[in-house]
Amino acid sequence: MFDRDIWQEIFNTLKKNKLRTFLTGFSVGWAIFILVMLLASVNGMQNGFTGQFNDDATNSIFVRPGTTAKAHAGFEAGRRIQFKNDDIDYIKQSFPDDIEYISARYYTNTSAKYQSETGSYRVQAVHPDHQVIEKTIVTNGRYINEADLINKAKVAVIGRKVAEDLFKNEDPLGKFVEFNNLPFKVIGVFIDEGDDNAERVIYAPVSTYQRIYGNTNYISQILLTYNPTYDLTQALEFSGKLEDLMKRRHKIAPDDQSGLFVWNYAEAFDDISSFSAVLRAIGIGVGFLILIAGIVGIGNIMVFTIKERTKEIGVRKALGARPRQIVNLVLLESIFITTLSGFIGLMFAWIILAAIGPNIETPAFSNPNVSASTVITATIVLIVAGVMAGLIPAIKAANVKPIVALSDK
Amino acid sequence: MIEIKDLHKSYQMGSNSLHVLKGINFKAEAGELVAIMGSSGSGKSTLLNILGMLDGADSGEYTLDGVPIKDLSETKAAQYRNKFLGFIFQSFNLINYKSALENVALPLYYQGVPRKERQEKALQYLERVGLKEWATHLPSELSGGQKQRVAIARAMAAEPKVLLADEPTGALDSTTSYEVMDLIQKINDEGNTILVVTHEEDIAHMCKRIVHLKDGVIVEDKKVNQVRAEQYV
Repeated sequence: MFDRDIWQEIFNTLKKNKLRTFLTGFSVGWAIFILVMLLASVNGMQNGFTGQFNDDATNSIFVRPGTTAKAHAGFEAGRRIQFKNDDIDYIKQSFPDDIEYISARYYTNTSAKYQSETGSYRVQAVHPDHQVIEKTIVTNGRYINEADLINKAKVAVIGRKVAEDLFKNEDPLGKFVEFNNLPFKVIGVFIDEGDDNAERVIYAPVSTYQRIYGNTNYISQILLTYNPTYDLTQALEFSGKLEDLMKRRHKIAPDDQSGLFVWNYAEAFDDISSFSAVLRAIGIGVGFLILIAGIVGIGNIMVFTIKERTKEIGVRKALGARPRQIVNLVLLESIFITTLSGFIGLMFAWIILAAIGPNIETPAFSNPNVSASTVITATIVLIVAGVMAGLIPAIKAANVKPIVALSDK
Repeated sequence: MIEIKDLHKSYQMGSNSLHVLKGINFKAEAGELVAIMGSSGSGKSTLLNILGMLDGADSGEYTLDGVPIKDLSETKAAQYRNKFLGFIFQSFNLINYKSALENVALPLYYQGVPRKERQEKALQYLERVGLKEWATHLPSELSGGQKQRVAIARAMAAEPKVLLADEPTGALDSTTSYEVMDLIQKINDEGNTILVVTHEEDIAHMCKRIVHLKDGVIVEDKKVNQVRAEQYV
């Protein structure tokens, strides 16, 4: 196959018909260009979606208690589940290798007062790990630390909007603000990229609020992140195990859907992935349809070329060329044109994407690009396309009767 | 070398059947130089096609160098053609983008001879037809006579048992025709079997035997005193 004579012949026919080669090649190059651009756009959309969700750590799991719907282990249905501090310790001990960060959340509302300014805000009493899980960005001061937790310190990290409402232009750091008439020291201000409401929140140590509210050890919710190297299957497997364990611990029937809720972000990504898979399939479908037009074009031209070369093929057969050798020659020529022009289309798409891709940064669409797998797929597609385009002409060529070459008088 | 017994061939022309060869019996020994003559429509080209395994006979036997030629697949026919036969055409049929050397090397390529070896061999044959210094030229740079000599070198390169020449001088002027016939005679002198289809009397008389075809049958088969072409060159 890789012998010099065959290539010499291919180059010769291409060279003799430069315009024709260009025109046919163009159709395939164009098809591949569109195919790659479509796939890159799907990638861009996927990147956009992923970016949207990046506000929270993508490897996070939320565990929320509910009310049982089924009687189980001697308990009646309709029992409210309450998480406590030891639930966190229990999870930590049960999955020492899986868990990266873990934090409780204790929800409440408070009316805050600083001098003459007042406002009502959501309070989330949390562990220090919460900062990483929620990706909270502290612009001034610091976040809650272990010492605050142990000392049950009355300290607060307030959102940018809270700071604006209560402190106006004053620097809130170190100031005391009254939450339900109890003085809390502001130790930090945070921003959140989500929305304004997310900045109308106050963070405080979970232990402090548990003491204020009747010295309980209740918590409203558990947040955690798992080992970030886990892929989707491992992540889902882990959250499944976590759910089973928590249900057993709280004596909830394994098939009870409302006893507690484990919300794994990976599931959302699973949905997005299937959504972009559909988009990608559409992109590939459209690209292929265009490619077929290109293939038909090449096939058409090849049939014409074979007709022109009937005599030459006849002579070759008279000299002892086997039908297979003729077929190979035609197929190789077809594959060569499609692959070469396809690669040119691919290169063009690549250059354009490399030049403008990184500059595109919108919520729903960012950094469209082609992956190595796209390139490999495109190459395989091109070779297959070349074979398809060359098939009919090759069969036609193989059927040329050498008699034709002789009867030329 | 060649043996044909009661060969029949007809072509379907619409609803009519055209009986072209009506029972040909013919035998050629090794080293013969036979002219096949006849007017157009006499069946000489059909006979040559069948001899060249480019077409099959309807009935009859054809044996080439002891090998029965019957019901060949395309691939088998190609192999036999390559091994047994060398073709010389009226219109030369050189491949126009290949140099003289590459044209001569082509049958060797289909025999699977390695590139270097087939180029050496092709050059030897070009030398034998006196065109060694034209090896790198394209057919378009050669005269008609030179082209036919390249074609003859190509036909001989695969060292076939029989050379089949279909009107080898049909497209040449008389001087060049004699040059080509001189070459054919010399190749024959070396012991090669050659069949020449022609309708020119003088060319036919440069062979050693003349077979006359008329309406699909051999009407005359005679040995002649060979006229050497050398004297006209």
